[in-house]
Amino acid sequence: MATVTLKHIEKVYPNTGDKKKKHNLKVTDEGVVAVQDFNLDIADQEFIVLVGPSGCGKSTTLRMVAGLEDITRGELYIDGQLVNDVAPKDRDISMVFQNYALYPHMTVRQNMEFPLKLRKLPKEEIDKRVNHAAEILGITEYLNRKPKALSGGQRQRVAIGRAIVREPKVLLMDEPLSNLDAKLRNQMRAEILKLRKKINTTFIYVTHDQTEAMTLGDRIVIMKDGVIQQVGAPQEVYDNPVNIFVAGFIGVPQMNFYDGELKKDGSKYCVQVEDALIPLDESKNQHLLAQDIKPQEIVVGVRPEHISLENVPGRMIHGVADVSELMGASVHLHINAVGKDGIIIVPTLDLKQDAGFQPGQKIDFTFGGNVVHVFSKETGRNLEY
Amino acid sequence: MKQTKAKPSSGRTLKHSGFLTAIFAIISLTWISPLLIVLLNSFKRKAYIFKNPFGISTASIFDGFEKWMAGISKTFVGFLNYSNAIKKTDFWHSFGYSLFITVGSVLLIVICCSMCAWFITRVQTWWTKLIYVFCLFSMVVPFQMVMFTLSKFANMLHLSNPVGILVVYLGFGAGLAVFMFCGFVKSIPVEIEEAAMIDGCNPLQAYFLVVFPIMKPTVITVAILDAMWVWNDYLLPSLVLNVNKYRTIPIAVQYLKQSHGQIDWGAMMAVLVLAILPIIIFYIAAQKYIIKGVAAGAVKG
Repeated sequence: MATVTLKHIEKVYPNTGDKKKKHNLKVTDEGVVAVQDFNLDIADQEFIVLVGPSGCGKSTTLRMVAGLEDITRGELYIDGQLVNDVAPKDRDISMVFQNYALYPHMTVRQNMEFPLKLRKLPKEEIDKRVNHAAEILGITEYLNRKPKALSGGQRQRVAIGRAIVREPKVLLMDEPLSNLDAKLRNQMRAEILKLRKKINTTFIYVTHDQTEAMTLGDRIVIMKDGVIQQVGAPQEVYDNPVNIFVAGFIGVPQMNFYDGELKKDGSKYCVQVEDALIPLDESKNQHLLAQDIKPQEIVVGVRPEHISLENVPGRMIHGVADVSELMGASVHLHINAVGKDGIIIVPTLDLKQDAGFQPGQKIDFTFGGNVVHVFSKETGRNLEY
Repeated sequence: MKQTKAKPSSGRTLKHSGFLTAIFAIISLTWISPLLIVLLNSFKRKAYIFKNPFGISTASIFDGFEKWMAGISKTFVGFLNYSNAIKKTDFWHSFGYSLFITVGSVLLIVICCSMCAWFITRVQTWWTKLIYVFCLFSMVVPFQMVMFTLSKFANMLHLSNPVGILVVYLGFGAGLAVFMFCGFVKSIPVEIEEAAMIDGCNPLQAYFLVVFPIMKPTVITVAILDAMWVWNDYLLPSLVLNVNKYRTIPIAVQYLKQSHGQIDWGAMMAVLVLAILPIIIFYIAAQKYIIKGVAAGAVKG
């Protein structure tokens, strides 16, 4: 139950003498900058998800909040209190690790009691809290087992239990579901959502899985190469990605990108991809007008679910079908157009009974002016913002 | 959810073979025969130990059963040798010294070396790597090469007493112990320690409440190896200790031989049995703990 404020947080790892550069991180004289100028205000009881590809600094940021890594520069406040130099145990946070990190020599009950015993709580209080947490997580019957006698999902529940018995100010989770199989992961994701309703605390959750980010977070922080790309609610990030990276990272299957051109006719903008000319809708038009965007070479981004096969003369882009994947409710049609591979999602309802797609078949498709994203070819920035 | 106990399969079982059983029985008997002979002779009258070390009677069984039985009762003296030996060697004092030195040095080795190994594994700098290399190096150097300088040095530092010798044992035991502990610490996921730090441990608590219990299998292995070594060691205490004051059991056995013109073999055998007994009991009690995968289950397995 606390706010967390990160002000200009930076993490620099001193150069280890290894000159081979395997990453795109900024390198200064000081060393490799893993996290750059990280600014974020996290409200009380908010669920923040840090998401990004591996090596983007999301775990490092979390570990700095936990106190497991030193903060090179910047200020970290928990509940309004500067905690840069406060030891992890005194920050009143708890953490769930990817590999559970349970104490193997203790039973489940002892694991969950451990943080409370260290804080010298009275025995009745410890029992009450442990039993309550076990009940929430449905692990009451395993309390006397050792961790090695539990399955992956059960172990992760115990790890979460150990984290919540403390009733910490902030609950940190470092890819807690990555070690679980796909089915269990979905199940546990739903459980975390439920858990969130039952306990009032601030969550910071790290994942590389955009589905987890979208479904769990109140706000998502998308990071790349140690730099925050965008912070926003899931819907906002999905609808208005600030750059090509965010657009490509959020959403499954990935957004399609085609090279195109932004044209301006009076006060009307339209995008041209090959010979298809698609006018932008009013709100997008206004955004571009407001910034006085010049006609230029652009990257056009369209989500697979926004592409339609309906024939609109003059707006069709020509492609060749590659393979199609039947997902049940829809078909993911891989298509090569404008020299790029892309995916179109065709709802099964729209398909005729036997209208299978053949590899090599010519497919014409289009999209509306309301769903297209216009990115600068030079900077990758979304021109609307 | 599976409720079955995770149980390692015992693999295939060998078919019972009478031939193999016989061979292994013979090998086992050969192996254990010196111990059995010592045990047997420790109950015999002095005079008969040399005369017929393997026999149990002065008379042959072919002379008739009665005679043979009488011979047996003539041969054996019960616990007389033991009481003699305990008196002559001042056994309980020696036992005390041996016990103190063994327990003390094993504790010291286990605690200091596991801590050291934890530190040099977790903190990777050039000097921790150097410590590791030194530990490996100390295993290569034979004791006989350093023993004279060592005894001189130990005297200078006033280590020639039962407390001081603990330090010497720590030094000689450290190499192997640190090496073994390092190997095990590497297999403990560092997240467990981080979880402990977040849960409210200071480094010492993290070590004693979390890391040390996880290291239990290696602790027991090291303890067994070092306990057997220290308990049975003759050379090092004879060089370092002031043997007129402090006699460990191996030294006491040796003095039993020197202090009298004629060696009391009965007492010798008895004291040998007494010397071996504790370490055998210790080994049997502790062996089931050797290398059990305690860390299994901490991480995804």
